[in-house]
Amino acid sequence: MRGRFKPQDVTETYMSDWIAIGALAAVGLLIPIGMMTVSALLRPSVPETGKSTTYESGETPTGGTRIRFNIQYYMVALLFVVFDIETVLLFPWAVIYRPAIEAGVPMIDLLWPMLAFVGILAIGLGWAWRTGAVEWARSSRAASRKTERDLNT
Amino acid sequence: MGTVQLFPEFVSETLGLSGVLGDVVGSLVAAAVVGNIVLAFTGVAGPWAKRKITAAFTDRIAVNRIGPFGLLIIPAAAVQLLAKELIVPEGVDRPTWDLAPIVLPASALLGFAVIPMGRLGPINLQIADPEVGLALVFAFASIASVSLVMAGYASNNKYSMLGGLRAVAQNLAYEIPLIVTAMSVVVFAGTLQTSGIVAAQTDVLFSVGGFDVPTWYAFVNPFAFVLFLTANMAEIGRNPFDIPEAPTEIVAGYQTEYSSAYFVLFYLGEFVHVFLGGAILAVTFLGGASGPGPESIGFLWFVVKIWGFFLFTQWARSALPRVRIDQLIEIGWKGMLVLSFANLVLTAVIVGVIA
Repeated sequence: MRGRFKPQDVTETYMSDWIAIGALAAVGLLIPIGMMTVSALLRPSVPETGKSTTYESGETPTGGTRIRFNIQYYMVALLFVVFDIETVLLFPWAVIYRPAIEAGVPMIDLLWPMLAFVGILAIGLGWAWRTGAVEWARSSRAASRKTERDLNT
Repeated sequence: MGTVQLFPEFVSETLGLSGVLGDVVGSLVAAAVVGNIVLAFTGVAGPWAKRKITAAFTDRIAVNRIGPFGLLIIPAAAVQLLAKELIVPEGVDRPTWDLAPIVLPASALLGFAVIPMGRLGPINLQIADPEVGLALVFAFASIASVSLVMAGYASNNKYSMLGGLRAVAQNLAYEIPLIVTAMSVVVFAGTLQTSGIVAAQTDVLFSVGGFDVPTWYAFVNPFAFVLFLTANMAEIGRNPFDIPEAPTEIVAGYQTEYSSAYFVLFYLGEFVHVFLGGAILAVTFLGGASGPGPESIGFLWFVVKIWGFFLFTQWARSALPRVRIDQLIEIGWKGMLVLSFANLVLTAVIVGVIA
């Protein structure tokens, strides 16, 4: 254990840490709920049909909202899952690295497992890069459309 | 690190309470104080400082009618905004639509739980100091993107939908560089505990003319600092990475359909998030609450640092053009990601050589 505590009172201080975080969570929820309540007591209500249409640049909204959107949003989410798990698994390595070096473990023994792990994912990123998964996918319609910039060049 | 007493312990000891009751009461009082400090920051920043700063950049005067320097605009704006009528658009997905404005400020505020905000007299302003501190603060901060998706999807508005999607794509792309760059700090400090990271930055790096430059990681590894700063700007959605809101493209993004207290909560949540970003930056790269003078005024230095970061975001807002969504994805996945891993490996090698 580094720092403040003797081993025997670790469990107790651990608890008080999480109680404190829970207390801040409670305060964090109370503030917005309190503001909503105050506002509900203060504000007027003047219902009118024109008001409650969704905003679409002043026009009457057309079509549904659950629109088809660019596939790219899915591709980057997929990549993210892989890399996020990687970062989580790298944290323990980062924490023990310096203490282990100072304890006399040779640097190469500590570095190669990390490099191998990152390397496997680097191959994955390279593949995603080559297949265009990290480039913004343009729909065929957007690609064929002439923009002002295209006309100028 | 010594025997540093945390804020909840200080409260329960002052009140003469012990055991679980002492923990709970002390925690609640401490949490309320910290919550109100952060709320006060956002109150000053939102209706007043942001306007004044932008006005200074564009050679205007801005709010100056009510109170000294127009400062009383803060309570006036609070009353005005809370007293607005709440317009619930047709076809919104409730209760998701109502929950989103609660989740955003709550998650950002929760991040402050493990931030060591320094000492103010006898009080050490830190709520909790678990061993997983730094990982925890990133976990709390990223709950915000869930709220943005909730708002975007539930609003029944195409602009909101696009804004929510953009927010996620952006947070996903920049979260990895952000955390991997923070990991290079962990490699230096050898701990995730936030107080430990701050304590590791108190040595003297070198002396210039009798002035000691501390081992703040911004000085030790400026490259990582710039990377982290950039990723941080994207994570909190400020210029040049403000495409989730992008007023000239998609109205106001995920918050288009919100009004009254709900809009205030989004606005407030974003400011809390900016200050949390500044707080993480201060802890990991700017030596936390350290600065010249006695340790008991550390909190003031901490305030200076996070307001410095706020000023920086406002400067960027006035000075930098917004990146496009396709540029954002490429900068994130091709540039920042590769650079942050290169930085991590390089840092590990340097630490291995010097340690």
